[in-house]
Amino acid sequence: MKVAFFPGCVSKGACPELYVSATAVAEPLGLELHELESAPCCGAGVLSEQNPELGDALNALMLAMAEAEGADLMTICSTCQGVLSNHNHQLQKDPARMDRANATIADQGYRYGGTTKVKHLLWMLFEDIGIDRVAAAIRRKLTGLKIAPFYGCYILRPVEALGLREKPERKTYLERLITLLGAEPVEYRGSTKCCGFPMLTFNRDKALAMGGNHIIEAKEKGADLLVTPCPLCHLNLDGQQPDAARVLNQEIDVPIFHLPQLLGLAFGFEPDQLRLNHHVVSTKGALEKVELKV
Amino acid sequence: MTRDHDVLVLGAGLAGMRAALEAARGGADVAIVTKVHPIRSHSSAAQGGINAAISEEDSWESHAFDTVKGSDYLADQDAVEIMAQEAPADIIEFEHMGVIFFRGPDGKLGKRAFGGASLARTYFVGDITGQALLVTLYDQILRAGVKVYEEWFATKLFMENGACRGLVALEMITGELHLLRAKAVVVASGGLGRLYEPSTNALICTGDGYSLAYRAGAPLMDMEMVQYHPTTLAGSGFLMTEAARGEGAYLLNSEGERFMKRYAPNKMELAARDVTSRAEATEIAEGRGIDGNVLLDLRHLGPDVILKKLPQIHEMALDYLDIDMIKEPVPVRPGMHYQMGGIKTDVEGATSVPGIYAAGEVACVSVHGGNRLGANSLLDTIVFGRRSGRASAEYAKRTPASTGGEDLLAAEQARLQELLERPYTGDTPAGLRLELATMMDEKVGLYRNEAGLREALAAVKEYNERYERIAVGDKGRVFNQALEFVLELGYMLDCGEAIIRAALERKESRGAHTHTEHPERNDEDWLKHIVLTLRGNREPEVSHVPVTITRWKPEVRTY
Amino acid sequence: MQFTIEVGRYNPEGRYADNAIPGEPFPPPWDRSPARRYQTYTVDLPEHAVVLDALIEIREYQDQSLAVRCACRSAICGSCAMWINGHANLACKSKLQEFTKNGKTRVESPPSMPVIRDLVCDMAPFWQKHLAVKPWLQNKQPVPPPDEEYRVPNAAMEELIQEVSCISCGACLMDCESFAVNSEFLGPQALAQAYRYTGDPRDAETKERLGQYSEAGGIWDCTHCYECVTQCPKGVAPLDQILKLRKLAVDAGFTNNPGTRHADAFAESVRDSGRLNELTLLPKSIGYFNFVEQLKVLPSAFNMLRAGKLPPLIHHKIPGFKRIKAIFERVGGRFK
Repeated sequence: MKVAFFPGCVSKGACPELYVSATAVAEPLGLELHELESAPCCGAGVLSEQNPELGDALNALMLAMAEAEGADLMTICSTCQGVLSNHNHQLQKDPARMDRANATIADQGYRYGGTTKVKHLLWMLFEDIGIDRVAAAIRRKLTGLKIAPFYGCYILRPVEALGLREKPERKTYLERLITLLGAEPVEYRGSTKCCGFPMLTFNRDKALAMGGNHIIEAKEKGADLLVTPCPLCHLNLDGQQPDAARVLNQEIDVPIFHLPQLLGLAFGFEPDQLRLNHHVVSTKGALEKVELKV
Repeated sequence: MTRDHDVLVLGAGLAGMRAALEAARGGADVAIVTKVHPIRSHSSAAQGGINAAISEEDSWESHAFDTVKGSDYLADQDAVEIMAQEAPADIIEFEHMGVIFFRGPDGKLGKRAFGGASLARTYFVGDITGQALLVTLYDQILRAGVKVYEEWFATKLFMENGACRGLVALEMITGELHLLRAKAVVVASGGLGRLYEPSTNALICTGDGYSLAYRAGAPLMDMEMVQYHPTTLAGSGFLMTEAARGEGAYLLNSEGERFMKRYAPNKMELAARDVTSRAEATEIAEGRGIDGNVLLDLRHLGPDVILKKLPQIHEMALDYLDIDMIKEPVPVRPGMHYQMGGIKTDVEGATSVPGIYAAGEVACVSVHGGNRLGANSLLDTIVFGRRSGRASAEYAKRTPASTGGEDLLAAEQARLQELLERPYTGDTPAGLRLELATMMDEKVGLYRNEAGLREALAAVKEYNERYERIAVGDKGRVFNQALEFVLELGYMLDCGEAIIRAALERKESRGAHTHTEHPERNDEDWLKHIVLTLRGNREPEVSHVPVTITRWKPEVRTY
Repeated sequence: MQFTIEVGRYNPEGRYADNAIPGEPFPPPWDRSPARRYQTYTVDLPEHAVVLDALIEIREYQDQSLAVRCACRSAICGSCAMWINGHANLACKSKLQEFTKNGKTRVESPPSMPVIRDLVCDMAPFWQKHLAVKPWLQNKQPVPPPDEEYRVPNAAMEELIQEVSCISCGACLMDCESFAVNSEFLGPQALAQAYRYTGDPRDAETKERLGQYSEAGGIWDCTHCYECVTQCPKGVAPLDQILKLRKLAVDAGFTNNPGTRHADAFAESVRDSGRLNELTLLPKSIGYFNFVEQLKVLPSAFNMLRAGKLPPLIHHKIPGFKRIKAIFERVGGRFK
């Protein structure tokens, strides 16, 4: 299946392991990735907040690029998903806004007709690729692992723009996937909460405490690892975890996996092919539970 | 613990907070005693708007006349004149405080039509006008630094040498009983809707103030005048604002007919509430209802008007009946809504008992007489709230402080202790309340008759006997709502008895009081108020007070 | 229809029924909130019944000792916000059927607020925040004479009804992620009210307000998680109001804060390269000369570097990056 693929800035920046693992699992999933190499940053909500028209234009450009590819736009980042969905929703609902955005990108030779569907890889697994195909690709069951899902805000909220009113099951995909891969999902409150990343630069200690608390809660419920479809959550939960432990004055030490890394493991890739050896928090203990090494 | 203030205001709805603000402006040390946080007060449920003759084509005389006619000529016209004259300035004052009144195209206050009014003079904030006024006033109270005893429940007024000198209140969060002394008490504790089942009123509307003042010797007036609102939601009984009809909604019977043309050919759906409610009841009784309801049809108003001007009722019909009023008519029926009568006051909010003032629904000035017009209740609260605040502060200035009351506090403590220690008798307060309220709706509701009222009186007597033995189902101190509820039930029983006695007295039909054996209004014998006064523990004394008529002689009332 | 309700009981006097079963402690950061005891009740109610119907039924006919605040029963008075299955909702607006999970509905007072008894929590933190934003009109002068209103467009008033619709139930604050870790944060309700007055054309203190709200604990301490938007029962969408305040504050020149620097650094890298440059984002947000804060982030940066998780030192531009700059210029406004 052909998809227009937007990897997002972070998978090309501080989380290269996400890009590597996402492209690795594409083949077993039957995804033909057409990467939108000249697509800009979605603005992560930061740009839209101060200059909504700019946010409209940048996202309309990206949506138009996907439209030109004639394929759904696939993201691998909850934040990209949220921002793109939000703008798509607003543009589709408000013709005047759409016209303004189109006027801006017309100079660059683009026009957005309003037809692009934006879908995170997580959604595509269930809604497009099909869960049977995912199951068929499994080469290694992750039996014995207790995995805590961590969605990231923008793949869940706001509910209207993300289509969660029509498809409330989107709130359950991570748990269902974890089960499908042979592992046990950990039920805990933090799974749908904020990792703290958006505040990291404004209010560092509070942001670290926010993320750290969720990991501790998952750990207390027995989690061997957390899995997230959002690299920004990963930056905070993995990248800053030692610092969060310091702020909370408590040992944490729980590895955080990107969604494609977890899929990749189940599909039989070796940990280093998925760059699981390039995390701040070692993935070693969790991998040993499924008899793998890094 | 004992505390002293100049003025205590009982209740933190619009009337209470307006009184407190005015008393504070008058230099009084004022405190509010309220059993719920001010924002939880039932004023917030007033949806449609507030009346005033502001526009150029309007006049205060027209507003006053409509009010008098609406009251079925039972309102005191001097009081109505004051209310109509002062309305514009009071509303503008709230605008200056920050209420976001909706505007007309010229940027001036926008208005909508309401029942019983000869022209549109209802000013509004969507369909959350009461809430908009309440939050603005609350923020003014915060700004003025008025002391609020929040979640304190009044158990008794403190009387000394025939004058009221404060009250005793239970602090819910600690369970401690306090004596709050003051030179004047403004009773502004709202209505008594829980005395009827169903009712549009909140669970907190339990008639506390009527009973407290009545037992302290303040007379009650017009208590037989209980308003049934024409459009309360089927099932839950929640209010569907009159503004819906003000914006143009129809009332339909099971045949799809706008039946109001047979009852009020000129005003149609915008007849006064008593007329409209009786019309609905007749349609339902004659078999043209739908499961005991009629239909409120807003579909022709279109989604824009509904979502912008009536968003709250749109949401309520969706939430509680799964009906989208944009697409479907809403089943409604008449339901108990408002008590026109109350603690008898003069136009300054003063009662005949020194130190007791009253304002808002609990008071009876009387500006509503036999039937209140929609959007006059918010007005009543802010005009007479302000007046009672000012008058009570002035009274406090010339009144010495009391140093007594400790014996009352001890007596109240003993009374509550006795309540807590009572053994279970098989009666629950909720069960008894439901019996009482169902009986009131049945026998003292939209239609009344002699036999029914006699039965009602006997029933209340029996309930009172059971009440004397009722147990409190929670023995703790902290937040003992079971105890609070038993005390509230006592207040409701007092109110119920007063309503029944007044209804028995009035041998005619006027306003909300429809006596099936005396179906006509009888100005010759009954153009007067019925007043009940409690002296000691004996039966109340029933007396009559003439209606004040200034310029509008009673006429036949048609809409 | 039969519904099973599991009620989190708390009694400071230690009065509990025998069948009130001690629950687990709450997860951090609420682990110090006293653990509740859970008592299960069965109620028979119509299928459309709401959680509050069940609680009233229990309190009236099964267990008079259950403490719960409620008044209007129709989402107007704001009394009955509580945790229902772990999220703050109005009990009177939550249908039992929708909130039945594994055969039961769990209600408790939220651990994010101090508990008084059972479902009654101490709302003092909520009201203190409300008061802190100066929630009253500071009149633009001259105030019109006593018989005249301010002349303002209807649209300006209609726009504010979204914030005025707030019933102060506190659901947003109860579930606010920032408040959970930062008790100083003014929170969604107070900031929505802050916008209600800042956005009022009759208010004179717009600039002072924006300055106050830009300080620590204000608009920049929101983590932007949309919990408040999701939980608000009245559509106030507090986050949207906070974002409006942020924009107004920046436009008014309140830019000397990490939030604004963050946005500026972000915009600069997207404008010039089409992509985010994470390498410069953090130091620029903190401020290059804020050495204390810069030092704080060093250990994390070192950890990430060691793991091979730092972005390339030479920031790559996207193909056709000039196009992006052209869009920035064409849109104009902030970030141009």
